[in-house]
Amino acid sequence: MLANQPSLTLYFLPLIQRLWPGFLPGLYRARLVSQQWQTTDMLLLTVKVSERWTGFVPGQHIVLTIKNNGRYLSRPFSICSSLKLWQSQQQIQLCCKVNAMGEVTPLLAQLANASMLNISLAQGDFHWQQPDLPAMFIAAGSGITPVAAMLLSQRHWLAPVTLHYRCRGAENAALLTALQQLATRQPLFQLQLSDSRVEPAAAWQQQLIADISHQQFYLCGPAAFMQQQRNALVNAGINSTAIRQEQFGVAMSGPADPEADASTLSGHFIRAGTRIAVSLNRQQSLLQNAEQYGLTPRFGCRVGVCFQCVCDKVSGQVRDIRSGDLSGHGAEQIQLCVSQPVTELVIKL
Amino acid sequence: MRLSTEQFNALEQELDNVKKQVQQQLGEADARYIRRVLLVQRISAISGRVLMVLGFITPWFWLLGVLLLALAKILDNMEIGHNVLHGQYDWMNDPILHSRRFEWDIACDAGSWQRTHNFEHHTYTNIIGLDRDFGYGLLRLSNDFRWRLRNLWQGGTYLVLSMLFQWGVSYHELAAQRVFAGKKKADRHSQVTDRELKHAFFSKGARQLLKDYLFFPLIAGPMWLWVLTGNLLANLIRNLWTSTVIFCGHFTKDVHTFSAAECENESRGQWYYRQMLGSSNFTGPTWLHILTGHLSCQIEHHLFPDIPARHYPAMAQQVQAIAEKYGISYNTGSFISQYSSVFWRIMRYSLPGGEKALKTTLKTTE
Repeated sequence: MLANQPSLTLYFLPLIQRLWPGFLPGLYRARLVSQQWQTTDMLLLTVKVSERWTGFVPGQHIVLTIKNNGRYLSRPFSICSSLKLWQSQQQIQLCCKVNAMGEVTPLLAQLANASMLNISLAQGDFHWQQPDLPAMFIAAGSGITPVAAMLLSQRHWLAPVTLHYRCRGAENAALLTALQQLATRQPLFQLQLSDSRVEPAAAWQQQLIADISHQQFYLCGPAAFMQQQRNALVNAGINSTAIRQEQFGVAMSGPADPEADASTLSGHFIRAGTRIAVSLNRQQSLLQNAEQYGLTPRFGCRVGVCFQCVCDKVSGQVRDIRSGDLSGHGAEQIQLCVSQPVTELVIKL
Repeated sequence: MRLSTEQFNALEQELDNVKKQVQQQLGEADARYIRRVLLVQRISAISGRVLMVLGFITPWFWLLGVLLLALAKILDNMEIGHNVLHGQYDWMNDPILHSRRFEWDIACDAGSWQRTHNFEHHTYTNIIGLDRDFGYGLLRLSNDFRWRLRNLWQGGTYLVLSMLFQWGVSYHELAAQRVFAGKKKADRHSQVTDRELKHAFFSKGARQLLKDYLFFPLIAGPMWLWVLTGNLLANLIRNLWTSTVIFCGHFTKDVHTFSAAECENESRGQWYYRQMLGSSNFTGPTWLHILTGHLSCQIEHHLFPDIPARHYPAMAQQVQAIAEKYGISYNTGSFISQYSSVFWRIMRYSLPGGEKALKTTLKTTE
């Protein structure tokens, strides 16, 4: 109240940042230790995190914030390193898929050594629930990252575990060396690599289903990949409660809506008090729609994790891109990055 | 001075280009600048409040404290608040400097300001009857308005408005919606209910009053009266300064007004044209521009309200050249001369009659 800011920390922020560069309220500082290319498009970042950071459960992710050309940019990344590395050296590793066309990931490769970054608390509930039950892990592409953290952190192996790792050849398999070393060291752990360029998806899936003596299943990879694996497992008689999955990237296709064709809807964005009439593309998120009109809503991860783009919907209906759920028609708060327009909308940015 | 449709379109193109050029170079330098202004604002606010209490050592400390607090409030309202609330720095994705979350050290609630100022005033600039900022419903500034007896003492009204400017700004939307008095206007639509308006008005106003006139005097102990008086004075300085700057933006001698009918369906080129004729600049050194929040470049601000204001002085040169090319008058002058013409306008129209404002048509030559 005294400072006209939600908190006194925000009022004093310009001064605090002078004394303590890189400080951001609600986030933790992390210093870049090294960058190393795992494959041609997977970059392994090692960072030393602040002592105040409270740690993680293997399988969780953090939201990484960097500052580039005056802007704060954030993206979520899974931690891929073991708990031991954090406990002994206060370091964590992030294995980031660099999208050459992306806005953030190409910048990660250009970060200067010892740069100050910010990370959030660890979040997410994708972790190894019962290590005493035989488990199967299925990962594809960058989906290996949380899975690697779980496996590499495990100290007491109680039951057999198989990892099916599908990728475009061994040279494109990130974190492979560490996992192979684990496989030679730990007799209960078996690593099955599948080359998607050689082995057809159908044959590979057959092989997976043939081997379902396991009691728990962990999936991580592109949305479409996980949907396929999940369907295959359920069809093979696996109880869906035994399947756990982490999802990265928003499947923009979403559950098909017969009316969600290329047509547009009319809507209004109210930004800084001014109403702007727009036509909304049904196939895109409201964040993309707003940005196309040169509006710049606050955003973070763009995949529904960080809640920085929460805005007030005044009226109209939206669909959650991740789940396909429809919202109500009245006033409520929505996340712009994972909401698609369904009806005419009025949104207060 | 009439333009053809082609000329309006060409004007639109040229001004869009000026904007695009600046937009492309927004980045680190802008972020560093506005963060530095914010830092100066925080340092002057904090040191000002401390120095006022140290007034028991020598009253000069107190005086310096008052001036520093006034400076902090002026920076907060003008170069930071007004510009941030226009969304000029939204691209930074900053936890403080974003139009959606910024709140400022003034009685007016930020959301209410965005509706009345960003929307009403910036969209309908100088359209008689739609832009209530033209005279604020209190002053008669041209012969477009019927003379009433109360206009006779509008010199006094102006002085009181300036001294209490933050409250005028804060009450502006409630007056328009006839929340407390007067008959509702049928043609006015609002995004918010009267209840929300009242809540925002009272809660923000009370917060400001409690802060400056209760909390800080109380923690000053025996110096409470000095602090209270100092805060009152700092608010007064800020009010007089902001009011003076803002009056110079649209009420100078040669400013043009428009009628609602002819602005219907105006093109973007015509909108630009209206913004150029409805606003006026004044010249001065860089520090003056900063203290006005670059409203000294009111024309550029009205053309490009969401471009970070530090670019306005450079853009002004390009805009002035474009204005010359199309024969559009570009209203600028020294601070003193512009302010004198504002003062003259207020005095002249306190008496009946007088000229109509420069009514300008947006009609094309065809």
